[in-house]
Amino acid sequence: MKDVAFGQYYPATSFVHKMDARMKILAVIAYIVAVFIVKQFQFMGFALCLLFVLVATAFAKVPFLRVLKSIKAILFLIILSGILQLFFNTSGKVIFEWQFIKITDVGLLNAGFIIARISLVVLGASLLTLTTSPVELADGIESLLYPLKFIKFPVHEFALIMSIALRFIPTLLEETDRIIKAQKARGADFESGNIFKKIKSLIPILIPLLISSFRRADELADAMDARCYSGSKNRTRYKKLTFTFRDLIGFLAVAGLITGIVFLNISGFLAVVL
Amino acid sequence: MQIDVKNLTYVYSESSRDLSVKALDNVSLTINEGEFFGIIGQTGSGKTTFVQHLNGLIKIAKDKGEIQIGEFCLQDKKCDFKGLRSKIGMVFQYPEHQLFAETVFEDVAFALKNFEKELSESQMEERVRRAIELVGLNYEQVKDKSPFELSGGQKRRVAIAGVIVSRPEILVLDEPAAGLDPVGKRDFLSLLHSLHKNFVKTIIIVSHDMNLVAEHCTKTAVFSHGKICAVGSPKEIFSDYNLIESLSLDLPTTAKVVRELSKKGINIDCDLTVKDFVRAVKERGAKL
Repeated sequence: MKDVAFGQYYPATSFVHKMDARMKILAVIAYIVAVFIVKQFQFMGFALCLLFVLVATAFAKVPFLRVLKSIKAILFLIILSGILQLFFNTSGKVIFEWQFIKITDVGLLNAGFIIARISLVVLGASLLTLTTSPVELADGIESLLYPLKFIKFPVHEFALIMSIALRFIPTLLEETDRIIKAQKARGADFESGNIFKKIKSLIPILIPLLISSFRRADELADAMDARCYSGSKNRTRYKKLTFTFRDLIGFLAVAGLITGIVFLNISGFLAVVL
Repeated sequence: MQIDVKNLTYVYSESSRDLSVKALDNVSLTINEGEFFGIIGQTGSGKTTFVQHLNGLIKIAKDKGEIQIGEFCLQDKKCDFKGLRSKIGMVFQYPEHQLFAETVFEDVAFALKNFEKELSESQMEERVRRAIELVGLNYEQVKDKSPFELSGGQKRRVAIAGVIVSRPEILVLDEPAAGLDPVGKRDFLSLLHSLHKNFVKTIIIVSHDMNLVAEHCTKTAVFSHGKICAVGSPKEIFSDYNLIESLSLDLPTTAKVVRELSKKGINIDCDLTVKDFVRAVKERGAKL
């Protein structure tokens, strides 16, 4: 229950941890764009992205295995898209045939391409959440969404909702764990029976969880009220986000990555044209 | 049923080396049948982890110790955990948070429906009635109520009824008196006492309340940093002032008075329950 690796903060003091959250968010968006503009079968572009992730991981002082673990969460999705590409691609030269299954070289390349693309996106995104605490992340998003204020979008409230939600994920997981244990101690069985029975067996967990969430929400509202919280007006911050030389380096690295990929794409294009 | 724990070790998040914590470190303990057993220690000393092992809510990792309870070997993969759990009732901290059913009857009957599916309607009703009455509630009054419209103390009673309804031989309670007012606490403890006399054989209680431990427990184990550093009667434990102080635990009120008096040269020999303390003081006064 507690091993939710995807999006878990890895506490450390490193170059990447100290970077401005806004820069990191923008960098990840740029990185994802970079992964997606890599032209088909231009695996050199992916190698470049991988290099980028590896260097960033090294600078973040996060064990690479920890980053790799994030793929586990969506392994099924990756394998499924790979298989779909492999079996349902009919163009290209057939290299393997058995009854109705045909695997073509294009299909194989496509599968590899898709798998690499999804994996790289997840690796980059998880590096963000591993090096940025939920609070920083919410602050960063709030700051980035600030321009929306001019169209009367409640940016601060939105960010608050987000950070509260993030803050309570571990609490609710703990609570769930406790309730599961309490009901198990009373002989509850969550494994056996058909699907309807299994769904029904969740009621003794979900109802207490729902009630305790409401209780927590009430308590939190009271606690905020007691501290005279009144929304975004005239609010100052404990931690101010500031751009530093680190962010400049991060910016340059991402810019370099995109330039590299664009260059690879164009050179591939030129090679075909010429 | 006797509980035998041998060399039990439990490590939290073993996979990541820098975050792993030894919650239990080579713990061995025997709890005899009929005991009112207290477990004390600071927060984070492994008490809760320990008691959760007792009914298999936390499984023993490979080669990390043995637990034998009656005929159940908990380190055995084929151990009948459901059977075990019907014999060992477990009351968690704030047990009222586990209530879920539409009526009090349904909630209390939950464990019965899980453990003893073969019971007839009338047998089941009889058992539920008995459990609700045992915790000191009026069956007719509460059985059709929603558990959520009861008061805090009543909710806790209902939750406990939902555990003892399966007639466990051993009842484990984790901080059962937390959040109760003095009257509620007193009522609750006399309830535990009457349960211990008439219903469950062994009671194991995890508590921060030293008065409670001194007053009710026949034997006590002190946990610190995942290890047991002392086992004995409350009198033995609470006369080891150095131990209690080094673990920043509190002394029960009687022990505090005994200690202060002994500093003044007045020795009071009692088992630290209020009743026996009064007896000893009277005897001592008669001597003067």
